[in-house]
Parts: sequence; C-alpha cells; structure tokens
Amino acid sequence: MVTWTDLWLFALPALTCWAVAALLALRGKWHKTVYLLTICGLLVFGAYIALMWHSLERPPLRTMGETRLWYSFFLPFVGLITYSRWRYRWILLFSTMLSAVFICINLFKPEIHSKELMPALQSPWFAPHVIIYMFAYATTGAAMLLSLWQLFRKEKDLSAIDNLTRVGLSFLTVGMLFGALWAKEAWGTYWSWDPKETWAAATWLCYLIYVHWRRCRPASVRPALLWQIICFMCLQMCWWGINYLPSAQGLSVHTY
Amino acid sequence: MNKAWGMTMGGLVCCGMIVAGVLLQLTAGPIRWDALAWPVNGLVLAALLLGIVAMHLCRGKVRLFRWMATLQAGIPAMVACAMLTLLMGVTRQVPSGHQPAEPIGITAMLSFWPFVLSYLWLTVLVGMVSMTRLRPSWRNVPFLFNHLGIFIALVAGTLGNADMQRLMMTVQEGKTEWRAVDEKHRVHEMPIAIELHDFSIEQEPKLSFLSDVTVYTKKGLALRDTIRVNKPLAVRGWKVYQYSYDEAMGGKSDISVFELVRDPWLPFVYLGIFMMLAGAVSVFLKSKW
Repeated sequence: MVTWTDLWLFALPALTCWAVAALLALRGKWHKTVYLLTICGLLVFGAYIALMWHSLERPPLRTMGETRLWYSFFLPFVGLITYSRWRYRWILLFSTMLSAVFICINLFKPEIHSKELMPALQSPWFAPHVIIYMFAYATTGAAMLLSLWQLFRKEKDLSAIDNLTRVGLSFLTVGMLFGALWAKEAWGTYWSWDPKETWAAATWLCYLIYVHWRRCRPASVRPALLWQIICFMCLQMCWWGINYLPSAQGLSVHTY
Repeated sequence: MNKAWGMTMGGLVCCGMIVAGVLLQLTAGPIRWDALAWPVNGLVLAALLLGIVAMHLCRGKVRLFRWMATLQAGIPAMVACAMLTLLMGVTRQVPSGHQPAEPIGITAMLSFWPFVLSYLWLTVLVGMVSMTRLRPSWRNVPFLFNHLGIFIALVAGTLGNADMQRLMMTVQEGKTEWRAVDEKHRVHEMPIAIELHDFSIEQEPKLSFLSDVTVYTKKGLALRDTIRVNKPLAVRGWKVYQYSYDEAMGGKSDISVFELVRDPWLPFVYLGIFMMLAGAVSVFLKSKW
C-alpha cells in the first residue's frame, strides 16, 4: 500500500531526473538525454500517482493535495512538449522549479482527507473533468511564464504564448463542458452559476479576449502580455482562490 | 474600415448598454425570468433569429450591421461580460428566485439588467458573425462549431430555463406518491407516480444511495428500476434523480426524496455543447504542435 508518506521516495528521484535534464537543456547539450531523463522522471512520478490511485481505490483527484500531484506531473510534461517544439532552453528549468514547489507543498503540508469519495463524485466524468483542467492549468501556466519573460525582452515573440493559450483554452473549454454534462447527470442542471462556475466562465471569457485581441491587434503586444497575467490570476481564483473568498463561502458545490 | 467604427465604438455601445441596464433596473426592477415561459420564449427566439437574419441581409446598406460582425465590436462586448461576471464572482449571490440583498441588484446578478443586456449584445454579435461564415466550406467548419455552438447553447439554455421544471417528491417506503413540490412550495400533481419499495445505503464496493422503485405513468405503464446518485431514471420526458433521504435514520430511512426534472430545450443545449466540444478539439488540432 502506497501512502502520502511514500511521496518523497518517488518525488526525489523524479525531481533529480527533471533537474538534471533542465540543467542539460539550459547548457544546450545532449538533447536525447534531456528527453530521456524528463520522461524517466515522469514515469517515476506517474508510477506514484498510479499506485496512490490503486491504494485509494479511486482516482487521486479529490483534495487539493491530490490535484497538486497532477499539477506536479503535468508541468514537466507540458514543459517537455514546449521544449521539443520551440527549444526554449530555460523552459524545463522553469517547469521543474514550479513542479518542485507543488511537490514541496505536498511533502510538508499534505492535505489528507477522508478516504471516501462523496457519491456525487463517483462518476465516470470525474477523472476526465479534473485531469483535463489540470492539463489546461499547466499549459496556461506555461503561457503566463513565457509572457512574464517576454515582457522584459526588447524583441517580443508571442507565437509560443499564442499556441499555448489556444491549447490551454481548448482544454478549459472541454473541461468546462464536461463539467456541465456531468452536472446535468448528477444534479439535473448543466450550469447553476455556483461560485466556481462563475469564476470558470470569467476565466474562459478572459482567455477568449486574449485570443481575439491577438487576431484583431497583432502588433499591440504589451497589453496582450499584461492581459495574460490577469487571465492567470482569474484562473488561480477559480482553482483555489474561491476557497478563501468570502463571497463563495458555503455556496459552492466545488468546495469539498 | 473607418476608424470611427472601431473598438472605441464597441466600448461606447457596451457603456450605453450598462447605463440603459441600470436605468431599467431602477425603474422596472430585476428581470423576472419566469415571465419567459412558453410561448413567450418561443416568440423571443423567433424575434432574435429574424432580427439577426434581417440585419445580416441589410449589412450591405447599413454600416452598423457590418461592424457588428467584427472583432472591434466583439472584444469590448466580451470585456463587458467578463467584468460583470467577475463582479458576480466577488459578490455574494442570493439564491435563485430571491430578491437582491441590496438596492442596486448585483447580488442577484442573473436578474441584473446590465449583466443580461451585455450577454444579449454579445450573443447577437456572435450570431451576426456566424451568419457571415454560414457558407459550405471546410474552412468555416471549426469557426461555426465554436461560434454557432456557443450561440445555440447560450440561447437555448437561457430561454429554456423558464420551461425547466424541477420538483421534489418525497416517497414513503411501501407507498405510492404522485404529488411533488416546486421551489415555491406549491404542490403539483405529476403525470408519473413513484412507488418506493426500499431505500438503502450501500457501503461496498463504494458508498452509494439507492432507491428500489416502480414508476407508473397515466397510461398504465409500470417500470421497476433502481435509482442511484448519478444514475437518474428517464420516464416520459422526466428525469428522476435520487436527491435525499432521512439523514437522521441513515440506511434505515423509510423515506426517499427524488428530484423530478423536465427540460424540453435540453436537446438544443446539448447540440450547442457538442458543437463547442468539436470546436475546442479543432482549435487544439489546428495549434502548431
């Protein structure tokens, strides 16, 4: 039986793999080793998630701690895809550092909740809904980091940010609509403007505005980069901020 | 396009919408969505569609209608909707059907005129821009999935809301019930009746609430089945959900509460949702990976 106390056994080797790969990528050397090591780390960390899944007898997706596991997993994954496509030398270091932050939070402040999943969550929609959202968070997170970097560069190139945002937005859309279809099955309404849904709609609109703005005013770059930061802040509010938001207390079906 | 018909114009129109909305709110009060029940929502739908088609056909002569299908009109509309949605996100909302808790009306955002007018404006613009691409060409397919999809889902979801019926039916074990209570605690006689044989809570393999029932229709049909959370039963246009039970009694509860839902506009909402899903997939595939 694998438990939270075993996390470091998997997290340390995985982080070591990712860190070495990130340093190699930073020096622009041994591309094959970079891929190999990152994938190794993903396999090790993925194995921990799979074993947790097995011993919990449900997908580890219910608590903040469990969703952080997926975030730690998908960040290097998206980092590797971005690296393979655009060859940013520093992207793996960034994704590894962020992943390390989430792993450390889980190591030192694990939110371990009761084993039982509430009946409304026992649905085939549950795993795809949350995993798709986690992937979207990782992709849009990468877009935000790129935006911060580009803000301080003279020669600004937004092609990678545009692509990551488009991919992130498509995943946000699918995650949101899966949520709607699931809510219809579970509660009888597809959209009830519960605080999480309201923030999801606002976030979705913000990313839509980015995509349309880029098409309308491709030369107006600085507002677009700043807008990325606003988008990501909305996303954070939607993801975990509403748990602390006074206006959402006791109203959301999404705060378990 | 002439600079006068740019994004500033879009911003001004949105500001106008919001001001007009506030005035309407102050004079007419919050929007009463239940007034949209059939056939009013059918008429509104017809007016909306006819209006969009008419404006589209006149676009050669009227510059405003041409402009409505541009990004310069759409982006400010999205910004207005996003801002009002964010405002909704940071204010504590009263339960649906209740009066707002303050004089302006933002605690009942869904009945707040500026909110609804902004979304209506955005919907009309999305409809207009969809019309410009309504030609058979593969290039237009992803665009129409995205834009026509959200248009259909939004319109059907909003207009259909007043026709949606949600009622609670509490049934005792061994008894048959055909009355249900709506949100305003009014009792209705339903076209279906439910006989509860047994309510139980399963612990293994996983926690589950289930009711063993027979559902009768007026035409004499009898259907024996088990209703669980996440597993509603569909009978004659109604969906029966496991909603609650006597929590003090737990698994020995001798009552079971069902939620009965009828939503005649649902197929259209689903059509819109599936178009949007297809659109999202096409956006993903078109991104350069």
